[in-house]
Amino acid sequence: MSKQLQDAYIVAATRTPIGKAPRGMFRNVRPDDLLVRAIQSAMAQVPGLDPKLVEDAIIGCSFPEGESGLNMARNAVLLAGLPNTVGGVTVNRFCASGITAVAMAADRIRVGQADVMIAGGAESMSMVPMGGFHPSINMGAFRDENVGMAYGMGLTAEKVATQWKVTREMQDEFALASHQKAIAGQQAGEFKDETTPVEVVERVPNLASGEVELRTRTVDRDEGARADSNLAALARLKPVFAAKGSVTAGNSSQTSDGAGALILVSEKILKQFNLMPLARFVSFAARGVPPEIMGIGPKEAIPVACKAAGITQDQLDWIELNEAFAAQALAVIGDLGLDPAKVNPLGGAIALGHPLGATGAIRAATTVHALRRRKLKYGMVTMCVGTGMGAAGIFERM
Amino acid sequence: MSNFIVRKVAVLGAGVMGAQIAAHCVNAKVPVVLFDLPAKEGAKNGIVQKAIEGLRKLSPAPLGNKDDAACIEVANYDDHLELLKGCDLIIEAIAERMDWKHDLYKKVAPYIAPNAIFASNTSGLSITALSDGFDADLKARFCGVHFFNPPRYMHLVELIPTAATRQEILDQLEGFLVTTLGKGVVRAKDTPNFIANRVGVFSMLATMHEAAKFGLSCDVVDDLTGAKLGRAKSGTFRTADVVGLDTLGHVIKTMQDTLPDDPFAAVYKTPEVLAGLIAAGALGQKSGAGFYKKVGREVQRLDFASGQYVAGGGKADDLVVRILKEKDPAKRMKALRESTNPQAQFLWAIFRDAFHYIAVHLEAIADNARDIDFAMRWGFGQKLGPFETWQAAGWQQVATWVKEDIEAGKALCAAPLPAWVFDGPVVANAGVHAADGSWSPTRKANVGRSDLPVYRRQAFRATLLGDGIADGAKAGTSFFEDDSVRIWHQGDDVLILSLKTKMRVIGPGVIAGLDKALTEAERSYKGLVIWNADAAEGGAFSAGADLQAMLPLFMSGGVKAIEPEVARLQQAFQRMKYTNVPVVAAVAGLALGGGCELMLHAARRVALIESYIGLVEVGVGLIPAGGGLKEAAVRSAAQAQGNDLLQFLKNNFMNPATAAVSKSALEARQMGYLKADDVVVFNPYELLYVAKVEARAMADAGYRPPLRKLVPVAGRYAIGTIMMQLVNMRDGGFISAHDFKLGQMIATVVAGGDVDNGSLVSEQWLLDLERRGFMELLNHPKTQERIMGMMQTGKPVRN
Repeated sequence: MSKQLQDAYIVAATRTPIGKAPRGMFRNVRPDDLLVRAIQSAMAQVPGLDPKLVEDAIIGCSFPEGESGLNMARNAVLLAGLPNTVGGVTVNRFCASGITAVAMAADRIRVGQADVMIAGGAESMSMVPMGGFHPSINMGAFRDENVGMAYGMGLTAEKVATQWKVTREMQDEFALASHQKAIAGQQAGEFKDETTPVEVVERVPNLASGEVELRTRTVDRDEGARADSNLAALARLKPVFAAKGSVTAGNSSQTSDGAGALILVSEKILKQFNLMPLARFVSFAARGVPPEIMGIGPKEAIPVACKAAGITQDQLDWIELNEAFAAQALAVIGDLGLDPAKVNPLGGAIALGHPLGATGAIRAATTVHALRRRKLKYGMVTMCVGTGMGAAGIFERM
Repeated sequence: MSNFIVRKVAVLGAGVMGAQIAAHCVNAKVPVVLFDLPAKEGAKNGIVQKAIEGLRKLSPAPLGNKDDAACIEVANYDDHLELLKGCDLIIEAIAERMDWKHDLYKKVAPYIAPNAIFASNTSGLSITALSDGFDADLKARFCGVHFFNPPRYMHLVELIPTAATRQEILDQLEGFLVTTLGKGVVRAKDTPNFIANRVGVFSMLATMHEAAKFGLSCDVVDDLTGAKLGRAKSGTFRTADVVGLDTLGHVIKTMQDTLPDDPFAAVYKTPEVLAGLIAAGALGQKSGAGFYKKVGREVQRLDFASGQYVAGGGKADDLVVRILKEKDPAKRMKALRESTNPQAQFLWAIFRDAFHYIAVHLEAIADNARDIDFAMRWGFGQKLGPFETWQAAGWQQVATWVKEDIEAGKALCAAPLPAWVFDGPVVANAGVHAADGSWSPTRKANVGRSDLPVYRRQAFRATLLGDGIADGAKAGTSFFEDDSVRIWHQGDDVLILSLKTKMRVIGPGVIAGLDKALTEAERSYKGLVIWNADAAEGGAFSAGADLQAMLPLFMSGGVKAIEPEVARLQQAFQRMKYTNVPVVAAVAGLALGGGCELMLHAARRVALIESYIGLVEVGVGLIPAGGGLKEAAVRSAAQAQGNDLLQFLKNNFMNPATAAVSKSALEARQMGYLKADDVVVFNPYELLYVAKVEARAMADAGYRPPLRKLVPVAGRYAIGTIMMQLVNMRDGGFISAHDFKLGQMIATVVAGGDVDNGSLVSEQWLLDLERRGFMELLNHPKTQERIMGMMQTGKPVRN
C-alpha cells in the first residue's frame, strides 16, 4: 500500500449530457462553456464551501487546441466566476485525461498540499477533430518497430479483434446490449443524479429580418442511445478501419461532446464545512501496452489499481469500462474474467458516447452516484488509451 | 444590339425531367425556381425538396456539383406564384395530361411577366391544343421545348412553335438553349411526339415487329441493333427496359390516339409481349424485370414464345458481324439485303422500315431532312441519322429496293414512297443532303443551316454526311501536319494545335508538334489554342502519355532510355507554361494523366461541362511525371498564401493518389484541376470559338507569362501526416504495399521532398522528384505488371 498523508473525498460530481458529434445538440456549444456549466453545477452542490479555498482545477482534454486550447482549465475557472486565485491546468492522456485529472487532483490532497481541488474533463469532437487541426507525427513512427504509433484507434481495435478472436457477431451483440442498457437506464431515470442540464443557445442569421435569431433550449439527456438498434441493422454496417475487418461504426464508441467536473476535498474540509462525501478516491494506475493493441490496456492497469487499493478484482461492485470498441472491451472482460453484470450496467460509450478527454470525469460521476443509489462499495472507471495505455481509477462509497 | 437575358427560369413540375432541367440550369449558373404541388402532409415544399434530394443520387449525375442542389429555389403553387413574375423563361414539365396542364396554365397565367417566354416540355401533346385558352399575347410567347432524358447529357432539344408563336421568341430561346444550356436545337412541327420520339418509337415498334417476324430473341436483336449499328449500346429491348415499359406504353398510346389515319397506324398497336409485361407489372429496370431480368449476376431474357425468362447472352451470327464490318456502306446494305441469313434480312427490314417511314412522314413532321437526322443523332444517340444512312448506302439503289419491298407487300404498310424520292433535286444530289442544304418537301427545295447569330459561335457546325459543311479536321490553313498533330489557323491571329493520335495520346510526335506550335505562335500569333477536331463529337482531349510508343525504347534501352523522354515531356510543358503568348487548352471529354498535365500547363483552360479530368497514373503503377504533381505543389502554395500548406495539399494529394477523375468541369474546378478563372462551356460546338476569344482577350489585355518563382513546400511535415493515413490504409488492408509506395511517393513530391516545412524549392526541383520517382517505379516489377495488364486487358491490375 502506497503512502499518503490523508484521504481525498469527492463531495460533488456532475457532468453535462453527452451530445453526438459532429452534428449533435452541442455542435455549436464550446467545450469550455460545457466545462463552465459542469464546474458551476458542481460548486452549487456544496453551497457551504468557500470557493476561495479551491487550490487548482485540473481538467483533462484529448485535443487541447482550437476551442479547447489556450489552457481551457484556467479560462473555465475564470468564466465560472471562481476567484482568480484559483489555478487551472489542462492535462492530456487522451481518453484517460479525465480520470487522470481526478487522480492528480486527489494526489494534491493526499500529499497534503491542497485541501480543495476541482477535477474534470471537457471535449468537443464537433469543434476539434480527432487528431486535432494539425496532426503531425514524428517520422520515427514509421519505422517498422514503431508503426503502431501511427495507427488509428479503429485499426488497433481490429488488431485486438484478430488477436483475441473477437468475432463480428460478439461485437454487434455487445453493442446492442450497450444501447439496450442505456435506454433502460434513461427510462428508469438512472442518469438524473449525475446530469447537469445545459441551456443551448443557437445563433442563427435570419436573412429576411437581418437579425440574429437566438434559439434557446435546455437539454438534459444523452443523445446517443438508440432504442431502435437491432442486430440486423448492426450487421449491415461495413467495417471502417480494415477492408476485411469486423469493427464498424455500430460497434465502436460514438464521437461526442461533453464535460464533467468533480470537487475533491480533504477530511479537514469535510469536517470544517460539514460536508457529506459521496466517495473516497482510492487508487489509480496507468500502464503501457504495445500501441498497435492499445485496446487491451485496461488489462494491465486494472490489477495494478486494485493492488494499490488493497482490494481484489471481485470486490469491485460497479465497473465503468469505456467501450472505445466492443472488440477491446470484450477482450479485456474475457482476459480478466470481469463479471459482465457489473460492467457498464447503464450502457457504455457505444450507446452513450465518448467525448475523449471528458469521459473519465463523466464516468467518475456516473460511478459515485451509482454506488450511492445502489448502496455498493467499490466502483472503478477504466479505459484504454491511444498509443497503447490503460488507466483505471477506483472509488469507494462513504 | 439587343440583349436577351434570362435572369431566372421557373420550372413547373419537379418530376424526373423538371428537376433535372432545373439542375442543368444551375449547372449553367442560371438561377432557377422549381415548383410543384404543395405537399398534403409535412413541409409544404416537401415534394420539391424530395425531388432535389433525389438529384444527388441520380446517375448519371444531373448536377455538375452535387452541392449546387441547394441553389435550386423551392416553391409550390399555393404560396409562391408571385415568384413567376421575376422569371424570364417558364418551362412546364408536369405529367402528360392535357387537362392537368390546362388547369395549371389557368393558375399561373396571371403571374407570367409581360415579356417572359412560356414553354411546355411535353414529349408529344399538341402545343397548339395546349395554348387553347391563352390570350393572343401569351399565345405569341408560348411554344414547346422538348428536352431528352437525361437532359444534361442528351444534346437534343426540340423547339416546337404553334402558328401563333412569335419568331423572335423562338430565336431568343434557341440562343439561350444553344449557348447557355449547350443544347442542339431542332425545330419540329406540332405533330404527335414531334420528330425524335415519333421516328424513334416507330423504329422500336418496327424492330419488335420484324424481330417477331424473323423469330429473333431480344438479346440477339439488341446485339444487332446496338453498337454494331452505331447506336446506343443497349440496343432496342434493353433501351425499352431502361426507359420503362409503362412510359413506352404511354408514348405508343399517344400515337394510337392521335394518329389514326397514319398509313403506319397498324404498327402503333402495342405489341402483345409489351402489353403483357406492362399488365404483369414488369416495367423494365425500375421494377427489376422487363424484357430482361437480373437473377443474381446473370441477366436472363424473356422468351417470347413461352413467356419465361431464360439464359440470355445471344449474339449476332459471325456472318452478319462480318457484313457489318464492311466499310463501304453501299456494299454493306446490299449484302444485308441479299443474304439469306435471317439476322441480315432482319437488319435490312428494319432499315427499310425506317427509310419508308421517314420518307412518307418527312413533310408532315419536319421542315427538312436534316432535322430528322439531327433529332435521331442527338436524341437517340445514333452516330448517323436515318437519311444519312440511306444516302451513304446509295440513294437511288436503296430507294428502288424499298419501293420493290413495298410493292411486294414486305413493308409495314402499302403507302408508296413520295415522289420527291425519285425525282428532282434529291435524285440530282443523290440524296437529301447536299452542299446547298437539306431537302424540304414543304418548300420543294434544299434548305441551308440556320443563320441565327448564335451559330456564329460555332466555328464548325455538326457535320452531316453529304452536305459538305466545313470539317474542323481539314478546314483552315495548315502550317504543319504529320501523323501526330496539325498546326493550323483560320486566317486570323490565333494559332491552333490539334492532336491527331488515337485517343490523342501524347508521344514524341505530339511533344515535337507542341514545340513547333509554341515557336510559331510566339513568332506570328496572338496566342495558341489546343483543340481537337472531334471535341464536339465526344473525342478525348487526351487520354495521357503514349505508353505503347515508349515500349520499344524500354525494351531496347531499359529505364535509362525512357528518362530523356520524360525529361523532354516535362520541358515541353514547362516551355508552354512560360510561353510569351497565351496558350489556351480547349478541353472536352477525357483529359487523363499526361493529357491532364498538358492542360494544367496552359495559361488558361476552356473546358466543356462534360470534361473528365484526372491524374490517373497510379492505375498503371506510376506517378504523374509530366509536371502534374509539380503543379499540385505550386497550386497548393499559391492557394495557401502563407497559411498552413497541408490544408491545401490534402486535395491536391488525394486526387492523384486515388486516380480521381472529375465527372464534370464544375467538379474539376472543385478538385483544383480547373482554376477559378478558367471558363466552362456548355455547347461543345462553341468550344473553339470561346477558346480563341479567351486567347485573344488575354493577348489584348497585355498577357505576360508568370514570373518564375521559388515555391514554398511543406516538406516532411506534410509527408508525415499523409503517411499516417497511408499506414492505416495499408495495415487495414485497403491498399497494397505497392499502393502505399505510390502514395508515399506522391506525398513526397507534392511536399517538395524530405525537407523542412517552409523550404523554398524551384519547379525544376519538383520535376526532378517526379521524374526520379517515375524511373524508380518503372523498374519495379509490380508497376511493370500493372502496365502490361493495362495494355493487354485495358483494365487496371490490383497488386
